[in-house]
Amino acid sequence: MKDAVRLQQEDFSQDEEISALRASSKRMGGIATFIGCARDFSENRSVSKISFDVYGSMALAEMSKLRSEAIDRFVLLDARIVHRVGVVGAGDQIVFIATCAEHRAPALQACQWLIDELKQRVPIWKKEITPHGESWVTAHP
Amino acid sequence: MIKVLFFGPVAERAGTNEAQVVFKDGMRLHDLREQLQSMYPDAFEIVCFTAVNGEHALDTSLPLRDGGEVVFMSKFSGG
Repeated sequence: MKDAVRLQQEDFSQDEEISALRASSKRMGGIATFIGCARDFSENRSVSKISFDVYGSMALAEMSKLRSEAIDRFVLLDARIVHRVGVVGAGDQIVFIATCAEHRAPALQACQWLIDELKQRVPIWKKEITPHGESWVTAHP
Repeated sequence: MIKVLFFGPVAERAGTNEAQVVFKDGMRLHDLREQLQSMYPDAFEIVCFTAVNGEHALDTSLPLRDGGEVVFMSKFSGG
């Protein structure tokens, strides 16, 4: 089985990730997921690709910490976080987060908390590639 | 030596991904930052976070050690 926290160039399968999550326990009453995708526009410009730079060792360590914190804080049964690096095309998947708990509320709350915290704490930088040039993305709320 | 890494927009402004700085006894994080800031002023305009040996470092008086790794980073934009 693939690790619950990963950085990878290749695309991920939501079905495979959820299957892995479901295999971890039969006590779950709810699974929440978030998939971040590459928009084909930004600030009135078309975007053809997004390139990621990452401080790999720290990013993976921070993602693992986030997963552990989320499990403790929201009493999750399990959680998975996958973030792509390298170059992705417009419309492609970027990040996957799944959380499961005995009840839906903590699963949903933890999923939102994880993506919000990931954006604040994990050293990954996104560059938009447009027909007119490239530019690093300023963090959005 | 201290290995200094730059990523993303900071690396672009610095024109490099890595720098080696000679370690001096008693060197602290703010000493290293001052030294590098004078070499890469444009890059340091957008530096918001620092990591020492893979951990967020909030205390600028943190003592450094020979062979350590320090990263000066701009705001993250993953996800």
